[in-house]
Amino acid sequence: MEDLVGVTARTLYISTTATLLAALWGIPIAYTIAWKRLHTLAAVFEALVGVPTVLIGLLLYLLLSKQGPLGGLNLLYTPTAIIIGEAILVTPLIVGASHRILKVSIDTYGELAASLGSSRIQAMTLALAESLPGLASSTAMAFSRAVGELGVALLVGGNLRGYTRTLSTSIALEVSMGEYGDAIKLGAVLLSLSLGFSIIARLLGDRVDRG
Amino acid sequence: MIEARSVWLRYTPNSGWVLRGASLRLAPGSIVALMGPNGSGKTSMLKVLAGLIKPGRGEVLYNGLNIWDMDDARRLEARRTAVYVAEKPVMVRGTVMDNLLLGLRLRGIDPQLAEKRVEWVVESLGLDSILDMNARSLSAGQAQIVSIARALVLGPKYLLLDEPFPHLDRARRRLLAGLLEELRSEGVAIAIAGHEEAYTLRLSDSIAWIESGIVTMQEPDSVLI
Ligand SMILES: Nc1ncnc2c1ncn2[C@@H]1O[C@H](COP(=O)(O)OP(=O)(O)OP(=O)(O)O)[C@@H](O)[C@H]1O
Ligand SMILES: [Mg+2]
Repeated sequence: MEDLVGVTARTLYISTTATLLAALWGIPIAYTIAWKRLHTLAAVFEALVGVPTVLIGLLLYLLLSKQGPLGGLNLLYTPTAIIIGEAILVTPLIVGASHRILKVSIDTYGELAASLGSSRIQAMTLALAESLPGLASSTAMAFSRAVGELGVALLVGGNLRGYTRTLSTSIALEVSMGEYGDAIKLGAVLLSLSLGFSIIARLLGDRVDRG
Repeated sequence: MIEARSVWLRYTPNSGWVLRGASLRLAPGSIVALMGPNGSGKTSMLKVLAGLIKPGRGEVLYNGLNIWDMDDARRLEARRTAVYVAEKPVMVRGTVMDNLLLGLRLRGIDPQLAEKRVEWVVESLGLDSILDMNARSLSAGQAQIVSIARALVLGPKYLLLDEPFPHLDRARRRLLAGLLEELRSEGVAIAIAGHEEAYTLRLSDSIAWIESGIVTMQEPDSVLI
Protein backbone atom coordinates (compact mmCIF):
# COMPACT_ATOMS: atom_id res chain seq x y z
CA MET A 1 0.00 0.00 0.00
CA GLU A 2 1.17 3.50 -0.76
CA ASP A 3 1.96 5.72 2.22
CA LEU A 4 -1.33 6.67 3.85
CA VAL A 5 -0.45 10.27 4.55
CA GLY A 6 0.55 10.86 0.94
CA VAL A 7 -2.68 9.44 -0.49
CA THR A 8 -4.75 11.36 2.00
CA ALA A 9 -2.97 14.62 1.27
CA ARG A 10 -3.38 14.07 -2.48
CA THR A 11 -7.05 13.23 -2.08
CA LEU A 12 -7.60 16.36 -0.01
CA TYR A 13 -5.73 18.49 -2.52
CA ILE A 14 -7.71 17.15 -5.46
CA SER A 15 -11.16 17.30 -3.91
CA THR A 16 -10.61 20.67 -2.25
CA THR A 17 -9.40 22.24 -5.47
CA ALA A 18 -12.29 20.68 -7.38
CA THR A 19 -14.84 21.88 -4.85
CA LEU A 20 -13.45 25.40 -4.73
CA LEU A 21 -13.42 25.55 -8.52
CA ALA A 22 -17.02 24.39 -8.63
CA ALA A 23 -17.94 27.03 -6.03
CA LEU A 24 -16.07 29.65 -8.03
CA TRP A 25 -18.34 29.23 -11.02
CA GLY A 26 -21.30 27.51 -9.34
CA ILE A 27 -22.19 30.29 -6.90
CA PRO A 28 -22.23 33.05 -9.55
CA ILE A 29 -24.39 30.78 -11.72
CA ALA A 30 -26.70 30.18 -8.76
CA TYR A 31 -26.83 33.90 -8.07
CA THR A 32 -27.74 34.69 -11.66
CA ILE A 33 -30.44 32.02 -11.67
CA ALA A 34 -31.90 33.37 -8.44
CA TRP A 35 -31.69 37.03 -9.42
CA LYS A 36 -33.08 36.59 -12.93
CA ARG A 37 -35.51 33.87 -11.81
CA LEU A 38 -34.37 31.37 -14.43
CA HIS A 39 -36.58 28.55 -13.16
CA THR A 40 -35.93 26.20 -16.06
CA LEU A 41 -32.18 26.40 -15.69
CA ALA A 42 -32.56 25.79 -11.96
CA ALA A 43 -34.55 22.65 -12.71
CA VAL A 44 -31.87 21.43 -15.12
CA PHE A 45 -29.18 21.74 -12.47
CA GLU A 46 -31.37 20.06 -9.86
CA ALA A 47 -31.87 17.17 -12.26
CA LEU A 48 -28.14 16.86 -12.95
CA VAL A 49 -27.36 16.30 -9.26
CA GLY A 50 -28.13 12.62 -9.68
CA VAL A 51 -25.88 11.93 -12.69
CA PRO A 52 -23.70 8.86 -11.91
CA THR A 53 -20.07 9.79 -11.43
CA VAL A 54 -18.93 7.05 -13.76
CA LEU A 55 -20.82 8.69 -16.64
CA ILE A 56 -19.01 11.97 -16.06
CA GLY A 57 -15.80 9.99 -15.92
CA LEU A 58 -16.63 8.31 -19.21
CA LEU A 59 -17.56 11.56 -20.93
CA LEU A 60 -14.38 13.23 -19.75
CA TYR A 61 -12.34 10.17 -20.75
CA LEU A 62 -13.69 10.39 -24.30
CA LEU A 63 -12.90 14.10 -24.43
CA LEU A 64 -9.38 13.80 -23.02
CA SER A 65 -8.19 10.55 -24.60
CA LYS A 66 -5.55 10.76 -27.34
CA GLN A 67 -8.16 10.53 -30.12
CA GLY A 68 -10.60 12.82 -28.29
CA PRO A 69 -11.20 16.49 -29.17
CA LEU A 70 -9.18 17.66 -26.14
CA GLY A 71 -6.55 14.94 -26.42
CA GLY A 72 -3.90 17.48 -27.36
CA LEU A 73 -3.98 18.89 -23.82
CA ASN A 74 -2.39 15.67 -22.51
CA LEU A 75 -4.51 15.77 -19.40
CA LEU A 76 -5.63 12.16 -19.26
CA TYR A 77 -4.30 10.33 -16.19
CA THR A 78 -3.27 13.52 -14.40
CA PRO A 79 -4.55 14.99 -11.11
CA THR A 80 -5.83 17.93 -13.15
CA ALA A 81 -8.17 15.61 -15.05
CA ILE A 82 -9.64 14.34 -11.77
CA ILE A 83 -9.99 17.90 -10.50
CA ILE A 84 -11.90 18.93 -13.63
CA GLY A 85 -14.11 15.85 -13.47
CA GLU A 86 -14.95 16.27 -9.79
CA ALA A 87 -15.56 19.98 -10.25
CA ILE A 88 -18.08 19.16 -12.98
CA LEU A 89 -19.56 16.45 -10.79
CA VAL A 90 -20.31 18.70 -7.81
CA THR A 91 -21.30 21.78 -9.80
CA PRO A 92 -24.99 20.84 -9.99
CA LEU A 93 -24.98 20.16 -6.27
CA ILE A 94 -23.48 23.56 -5.47
CA VAL A 95 -25.70 25.38 -7.95
CA GLY A 96 -28.83 23.62 -6.69
CA ALA A 97 -28.19 24.18 -3.00
CA SER A 98 -26.84 27.72 -3.38
CA HIS A 99 -29.66 28.72 -5.66
CA ARG A 100 -32.27 27.76 -3.08
CA ILE A 101 -30.43 29.70 -0.38
CA LEU A 102 -29.88 32.76 -2.56
CA LYS A 103 -33.46 32.85 -3.81
CA VAL A 104 -34.85 33.11 -0.29
CA SER A 105 -32.14 35.59 0.61
CA ILE A 106 -32.79 37.82 -2.39
CA ASP A 107 -36.53 37.78 -1.73
CA THR A 108 -36.20 38.71 1.92
CA TYR A 109 -33.01 40.76 2.25
CA GLY A 110 -33.17 42.21 -1.23
CA GLU A 111 -36.60 43.59 -0.47
CA LEU A 112 -35.56 44.76 2.98
CA ALA A 113 -32.59 46.62 1.53
CA ALA A 114 -34.73 48.18 -1.20
CA SER A 115 -37.33 49.30 1.31
CA LEU A 116 -34.60 51.05 3.29
CA GLY A 117 -33.50 52.93 0.18
CA SER A 118 -30.50 50.95 -0.95
CA SER A 119 -29.29 50.86 -4.52
CA ARG A 120 -29.62 47.65 -6.48
CA ILE A 121 -25.95 46.79 -5.97
CA GLN A 122 -26.22 47.24 -2.21
CA ALA A 123 -29.36 45.13 -2.11
CA MET A 124 -27.54 42.36 -3.99
CA THR A 125 -24.56 42.66 -1.66
CA LEU A 126 -26.71 42.42 1.45
CA ALA A 127 -28.52 39.35 0.10
CA LEU A 128 -25.17 37.73 -0.66
CA ALA A 129 -23.68 38.61 2.72
CA GLU A 130 -26.67 37.17 4.55
CA SER A 131 -26.35 33.88 2.65
CA LEU A 132 -22.63 33.31 3.25
CA PRO A 133 -23.05 30.68 5.99
CA GLY A 134 -25.50 28.80 3.77
CA LEU A 135 -23.18 28.99 0.79
CA ALA A 136 -20.29 27.73 2.88
CA SER A 137 -22.52 24.90 4.02
CA SER A 138 -23.39 23.86 0.48
CA THR A 139 -19.71 23.99 -0.46
CA ALA A 140 -18.78 21.73 2.44
CA MET A 141 -21.53 19.34 1.35
CA ALA A 142 -20.11 19.29 -2.16
CA PHE A 143 -16.69 18.53 -0.76
CA SER A 144 -17.96 15.51 1.12
CA ARG A 145 -19.31 14.19 -2.18
CA ALA A 146 -16.11 14.90 -4.12
CA VAL A 147 -13.75 13.38 -1.58
CA GLY A 148 -15.12 9.86 -1.82
CA GLU A 149 -15.92 9.90 -5.52
CA LEU A 150 -14.61 6.89 -7.46
CA GLY A 151 -15.88 6.91 -11.05
CA VAL A 152 -14.06 10.02 -12.25
CA ALA A 153 -10.87 9.36 -10.30
CA LEU A 154 -10.60 5.86 -11.70
CA LEU A 155 -11.45 6.59 -15.34
CA VAL A 156 -9.55 9.82 -15.96
CA GLY A 157 -7.02 9.53 -13.13
CA GLY A 158 -5.96 6.00 -13.93
CA ASN A 159 -5.01 5.18 -10.31
CA LEU A 160 -1.28 5.82 -10.88
CA ARG A 161 0.75 5.17 -7.76
CA GLY A 162 2.17 8.35 -6.19
CA TYR A 163 0.48 10.53 -8.82
CA THR A 164 -3.24 10.11 -9.28
CA ARG A 165 -4.06 7.51 -6.65
CA THR A 166 -6.70 8.73 -4.23
CA LEU A 167 -8.27 7.18 -1.15
CA SER A 168 -11.20 5.79 -3.10
CA THR A 169 -9.14 4.35 -5.95
CA SER A 170 -6.69 2.87 -3.42
CA ILE A 171 -9.55 1.11 -1.71
CA ALA A 172 -10.71 -0.33 -5.03
CA LEU A 173 -7.19 -1.56 -5.72
CA GLU A 174 -6.59 -3.07 -2.26
CA VAL A 175 -9.88 -4.91 -2.40
CA SER A 176 -9.10 -6.29 -5.86
CA MET A 177 -5.83 -7.59 -4.46
CA GLY A 178 -7.49 -9.09 -1.40
CA GLU A 179 -5.80 -6.68 1.03
CA TYR A 180 -8.89 -6.06 3.09
CA GLY A 181 -7.04 -4.76 6.14
CA ASP A 182 -5.49 -1.92 4.15
CA ALA A 183 -8.78 -1.24 2.40
CA ILE A 184 -10.48 -0.85 5.75
CA LYS A 185 -7.78 1.49 7.01
CA LEU A 186 -8.16 3.67 3.92
CA GLY A 187 -11.90 3.44 4.25
CA ALA A 188 -11.77 4.72 7.81
CA VAL A 189 -9.77 7.77 6.76
CA LEU A 190 -12.12 8.45 3.88
CA LEU A 191 -15.17 8.08 6.08
CA SER A 192 -13.82 10.50 8.67
CA LEU A 193 -13.03 13.11 5.98
CA SER A 194 -16.42 12.77 4.39
CA LEU A 195 -18.27 12.77 7.72
CA GLY A 196 -16.13 15.62 8.99
CA PHE A 197 -17.17 17.83 6.13
CA SER A 198 -20.80 16.76 6.36
CA ILE A 199 -20.75 17.79 9.99
CA ILE A 200 -19.19 21.13 9.12
CA ALA A 201 -21.89 21.61 6.48
CA ARG A 202 -24.53 20.76 9.04
CA LEU A 203 -23.15 23.15 11.65
CA LEU A 204 -22.97 25.98 9.13
CA GLY A 205 -26.51 25.14 8.06
CA ASP A 206 -27.67 25.38 11.66
CA ARG A 207 -26.07 28.79 11.86
CA VAL A 208 -28.21 29.86 8.94
CA ASP A 209 -31.36 28.71 10.69
CA ARG A 210 -30.48 30.33 13.97
CA GLY A 211 -29.02 33.39 12.27
CA MET B 1 -47.05 64.19 -1.84
CA ILE B 2 -47.01 60.64 -3.18
CA GLU B 3 -49.79 59.12 -5.16
CA ALA B 4 -50.62 55.87 -6.89
CA ARG B 5 -52.91 56.64 -9.80
CA SER B 6 -55.08 53.95 -11.44
CA VAL B 7 -52.56 51.27 -10.69
CA TRP B 8 -52.87 47.76 -12.08
CA LEU B 9 -50.64 45.07 -10.66
CA ARG B 10 -50.13 41.38 -11.10
CA TYR B 11 -47.27 39.27 -9.80
CA THR B 12 -46.84 36.98 -12.80
CA PRO B 13 -47.87 37.51 -16.41
CA ASN B 14 -50.45 34.73 -16.27
CA SER B 15 -52.02 35.38 -12.89
CA GLY B 16 -54.97 37.65 -12.24
CA TRP B 17 -54.71 41.34 -11.45
CA VAL B 18 -54.21 42.01 -7.74
CA LEU B 19 -54.70 45.75 -8.07
CA ARG B 20 -57.25 46.83 -10.66
CA GLY B 21 -57.05 50.54 -11.17
CA ALA B 22 -56.38 51.38 -7.52
CA SER B 23 -55.56 54.94 -6.49
CA LEU B 24 -54.28 56.29 -3.21
CA ARG B 25 -52.76 59.59 -2.16
CA LEU B 26 -50.60 60.42 0.85
CA ALA B 27 -50.51 64.07 1.79
CA PRO B 28 -47.97 65.60 4.19
CA GLY B 29 -49.12 65.72 7.79
CA SER B 30 -51.86 63.15 7.47
CA ILE B 31 -52.46 59.53 8.31
CA VAL B 32 -54.35 57.20 5.99
CA ALA B 33 -55.54 53.82 7.18
CA LEU B 34 -55.59 51.22 4.43
CA MET B 35 -58.09 48.50 5.24
CA GLY B 36 -59.62 45.54 3.54
CA PRO B 37 -59.95 41.76 3.74
CA ASN B 38 -56.96 39.42 3.75
CA GLY B 39 -55.47 39.19 0.30
CA SER B 40 -57.22 42.34 -0.91
CA GLY B 41 -53.96 44.06 -1.88
CA LYS B 42 -53.02 46.27 1.07
CA THR B 43 -49.45 45.06 1.17
CA SER B 44 -49.20 45.23 -2.61
CA MET B 45 -50.49 48.79 -2.60
CA LEU B 46 -47.96 49.92 0.00
CA LYS B 47 -45.12 48.30 -1.95
CA VAL B 48 -46.28 50.03 -5.11
CA LEU B 49 -46.38 53.36 -3.28
CA ALA B 50 -42.88 52.71 -1.92
CA GLY B 51 -41.62 52.06 -5.44
CA LEU B 52 -40.63 48.51 -4.55
CA ILE B 53 -42.70 46.87 -7.26
CA LYS B 54 -43.50 48.27 -10.63
CA PRO B 55 -47.16 48.21 -11.55
CA GLY B 56 -48.18 46.87 -14.95
CA ARG B 57 -50.25 49.95 -15.65
CA GLY B 58 -50.86 53.29 -13.95
CA GLU B 59 -48.58 55.86 -12.39
CA VAL B 60 -46.71 56.22 -9.13
CA LEU B 61 -46.18 59.92 -8.60
CA TYR B 62 -43.71 61.51 -6.21
CA ASN B 63 -44.40 65.23 -6.15
CA GLY B 64 -46.17 64.85 -9.45
CA LEU B 65 -43.47 62.89 -11.26
CA ASN B 66 -43.86 59.23 -12.19
CA ILE B 67 -40.96 57.40 -10.59
CA TRP B 68 -41.09 54.72 -13.28
CA ASP B 69 -40.30 57.34 -15.92
CA MET B 70 -37.19 58.40 -14.01
CA ASP B 71 -33.67 57.03 -14.50
CA ASP B 72 -32.34 54.73 -11.77
CA ALA B 73 -30.50 57.43 -9.85
CA ARG B 74 -33.48 59.79 -9.80
CA ARG B 75 -35.85 57.01 -8.79
CA LEU B 76 -33.57 55.97 -5.96
CA GLU B 77 -33.42 59.52 -4.71
CA ALA B 78 -37.23 59.77 -4.79
CA ARG B 79 -37.71 56.35 -3.22
CA ARG B 80 -35.49 57.33 -0.30
CA THR B 81 -38.11 59.79 0.90
CA ALA B 82 -40.45 56.87 1.58
CA VAL B 83 -39.81 53.84 3.77
CA TYR B 84 -41.93 50.71 3.78
CA VAL B 85 -42.05 48.58 6.93
CA ALA B 86 -43.04 44.99 6.18
CA GLU B 87 -45.71 43.14 8.14
CA LYS B 88 -43.22 40.32 8.81
CA PRO B 89 -40.06 41.91 10.20
CA VAL B 90 -36.78 40.75 8.68
CA MET B 91 -33.64 41.09 10.77
CA VAL B 92 -30.12 40.84 9.43
CA ARG B 93 -27.39 39.04 11.35
CA GLY B 94 -26.12 41.07 14.26
CA THR B 95 -27.50 43.05 17.16
CA VAL B 96 -30.57 45.23 17.37
CA MET B 97 -28.28 48.24 17.05
CA ASP B 98 -26.76 46.81 13.84
CA ASN B 99 -30.27 46.53 12.49
CA LEU B 100 -31.22 50.05 13.52
CA LEU B 101 -28.23 51.37 11.61
CA LEU B 102 -28.77 49.14 8.56
CA GLY B 103 -30.62 51.74 6.49
CA LEU B 104 -27.92 54.34 7.12
CA ARG B 105 -25.24 51.85 6.16
CA LEU B 106 -27.08 50.90 2.96
CA ARG B 107 -27.43 54.56 2.05
CA GLY B 108 -23.78 55.21 2.77
CA ILE B 109 -24.51 57.62 5.62
CA ASP B 110 -22.12 57.83 8.55
CA PRO B 111 -24.16 56.68 11.60
CA GLN B 112 -22.51 59.41 13.69
CA LEU B 113 -24.29 62.02 11.60
CA ALA B 114 -27.61 60.47 12.59
CA GLU B 115 -26.73 59.91 16.23
CA LYS B 116 -29.34 62.32 17.57
CA ARG B 117 -32.06 60.77 15.47
CA VAL B 118 -31.08 57.24 16.53
CA GLU B 119 -31.12 58.28 20.19
CA TRP B 120 -34.50 59.87 19.80
CA VAL B 121 -35.99 56.76 18.17
CA VAL B 122 -34.46 54.44 20.75
CA GLU B 123 -35.81 56.55 23.56
CA SER B 124 -39.27 57.14 22.09
CA LEU B 125 -39.86 53.46 21.48
CA GLY B 126 -38.20 52.20 24.65
CA LEU B 127 -35.49 50.12 22.99
CA ASP B 128 -32.61 50.84 25.39
CA SER B 129 -32.67 47.47 27.09
CA ILE B 130 -32.57 45.38 23.92
CA LEU B 131 -29.98 47.26 21.85
CA ASP B 132 -27.28 44.62 22.34
CA MET B 133 -29.55 41.63 21.84
CA ASN B 134 -29.12 39.28 18.88
CA ALA B 135 -31.73 40.67 16.50
CA ARG B 136 -32.78 37.19 15.43
CA SER B 137 -33.75 36.14 18.92
CA LEU B 138 -36.26 38.95 19.39
CA SER B 139 -39.90 38.17 20.12
CA ALA B 140 -42.43 38.93 17.39
CA GLY B 141 -43.46 42.21 19.01
CA GLN B 142 -39.88 43.25 19.71
CA ALA B 143 -38.91 42.54 16.10
CA GLN B 144 -41.91 44.53 14.89
CA ILE B 145 -40.99 47.59 16.91
CA VAL B 146 -37.33 47.32 15.92
CA SER B 147 -38.23 47.19 12.24
CA ILE B 148 -40.39 50.30 12.67
CA ALA B 149 -37.57 52.00 14.55
CA ARG B 150 -35.15 51.05 11.77
CA ALA B 151 -37.35 52.95 9.33
CA LEU B 152 -37.74 55.99 11.57
CA VAL B 153 -33.98 56.33 11.95
CA LEU B 154 -33.97 57.34 8.27
CA GLY B 155 -36.33 60.23 8.87
CA PRO B 156 -38.70 59.44 5.99
CA LYS B 157 -41.19 61.98 4.67
CA TYR B 158 -43.51 59.11 3.83
CA LEU B 159 -43.91 56.22 6.22
CA LEU B 160 -45.67 53.11 4.97
CA LEU B 161 -46.49 50.77 7.84
CA ASP B 162 -47.81 47.32 7.04
CA GLU B 163 -49.86 46.08 10.00
CA PRO B 164 -47.66 47.63 12.68
CA PHE B 165 -49.87 47.02 15.71
CA PRO B 166 -50.90 43.34 15.99
CA HIS B 167 -47.89 42.01 17.93
CA LEU B 168 -47.33 45.03 20.15
CA ASP B 169 -48.34 45.09 23.77
CA ARG B 170 -50.55 47.86 25.06
CA ALA B 171 -47.68 50.06 26.28
CA ARG B 172 -45.80 49.79 22.99
CA ARG B 173 -48.97 50.45 20.99
CA ARG B 174 -49.43 53.64 22.93
CA LEU B 175 -45.79 54.64 22.45
CA LEU B 176 -46.03 54.03 18.73
CA ALA B 177 -49.32 55.87 18.38
CA GLY B 178 -47.89 58.85 20.22
CA LEU B 179 -44.84 58.83 18.01
CA LEU B 180 -46.90 58.66 14.83
CA GLU B 181 -48.95 61.63 15.98
CA GLU B 182 -45.76 63.53 16.63
CA LEU B 183 -44.46 62.69 13.17
CA ARG B 184 -47.73 63.75 11.60
CA SER B 185 -47.52 67.10 13.31
CA GLU B 186 -44.05 67.45 11.82
CA GLY B 187 -45.53 66.94 8.36
CA VAL B 188 -44.77 63.28 7.75
CA ALA B 189 -47.32 61.45 5.61
CA ILE B 190 -48.21 58.05 7.03
CA ALA B 191 -50.11 55.09 5.66
CA ILE B 192 -51.09 52.27 7.98
CA ALA B 193 -52.33 49.01 6.56
CA GLY B 194 -54.36 47.19 9.10
CA HIS B 195 -57.61 45.70 10.15
CA GLU B 196 -59.98 47.49 12.41
CA GLU B 197 -57.66 47.95 15.38
CA ALA B 198 -58.63 50.79 17.68
CA TYR B 199 -55.31 52.54 17.22
CA THR B 200 -55.35 52.45 13.44
CA LEU B 201 -58.85 53.86 13.43
CA ARG B 202 -58.19 56.47 16.07
CA LEU B 203 -55.07 57.80 14.41
CA SER B 204 -56.29 57.99 10.87
CA ASP B 205 -57.49 61.16 9.16
CA SER B 206 -59.06 59.08 6.44
CA ILE B 207 -59.68 55.47 5.64
CA ALA B 208 -59.03 53.84 2.32
CA TRP B 209 -60.98 50.64 1.84
CA ILE B 210 -59.50 48.21 -0.61
CA GLU B 211 -61.41 45.30 -2.05
CA SER B 212 -61.09 43.37 -5.32
CA GLY B 213 -58.07 45.53 -6.11
CA ILE B 214 -59.97 48.80 -6.04
CA VAL B 215 -59.69 51.52 -3.42
CA THR B 216 -62.64 53.49 -2.14
CA MET B 217 -62.17 56.31 0.36
CA GLN B 218 -64.29 56.44 3.45
CA GLU B 219 -64.63 58.63 6.49
CA PRO B 220 -62.98 57.46 9.72
CA ASP B 221 -66.10 56.28 11.58
CA SER B 222 -68.15 54.54 8.94
CA VAL B 223 -66.21 51.27 9.17
CA LEU B 224 -66.91 50.90 12.85
CA ILE B 225 -70.59 50.21 12.44
N1 LIG C 1 -45.14 37.73 -4.14
C1 LIG C 1 -46.34 37.38 -4.60
N2 LIG C 1 -46.46 36.56 -5.66
C2 LIG C 1 -47.65 36.21 -6.13
N3 LIG C 1 -48.82 36.64 -5.63
C3 LIG C 1 -48.79 37.47 -4.58
C4 LIG C 1 -47.55 37.88 -4.01
N4 LIG C 1 -47.82 38.70 -2.97
C5 LIG C 1 -49.16 38.79 -2.91
N5 LIG C 1 -49.76 38.05 -3.86
C6 LIG C 1 -51.21 37.94 -4.10
O1 LIG C 1 -51.72 39.23 -4.20
C7 LIG C 1 -52.96 39.34 -3.51
C8 LIG C 1 -52.91 40.50 -2.57
O2 LIG C 1 -51.93 40.24 -1.58
P1 LIG C 1 -51.53 41.29 -0.47
O3 LIG C 1 -50.41 40.71 0.29
O4 LIG C 1 -51.31 42.60 -1.11
O5 LIG C 1 -52.85 41.34 0.41
P2 LIG C 1 -53.12 42.03 1.83
O6 LIG C 1 -54.30 42.88 1.68
O7 LIG C 1 -51.89 42.66 2.33
O8 LIG C 1 -53.50 40.78 2.73
P3 LIG C 1 -53.28 40.54 4.32
O9 LIG C 1 -54.38 41.24 5.03
O10 LIG C 1 -53.43 39.07 4.45
O11 LIG C 1 -51.91 41.03 4.68
C9 LIG C 1 -53.20 38.00 -2.85
O12 LIG C 1 -54.13 37.30 -3.61
C10 LIG C 1 -51.88 37.31 -2.90
O13 LIG C 1 -52.06 35.95 -3.10
MG1 LIG D 1 -50.64 42.30 3.88
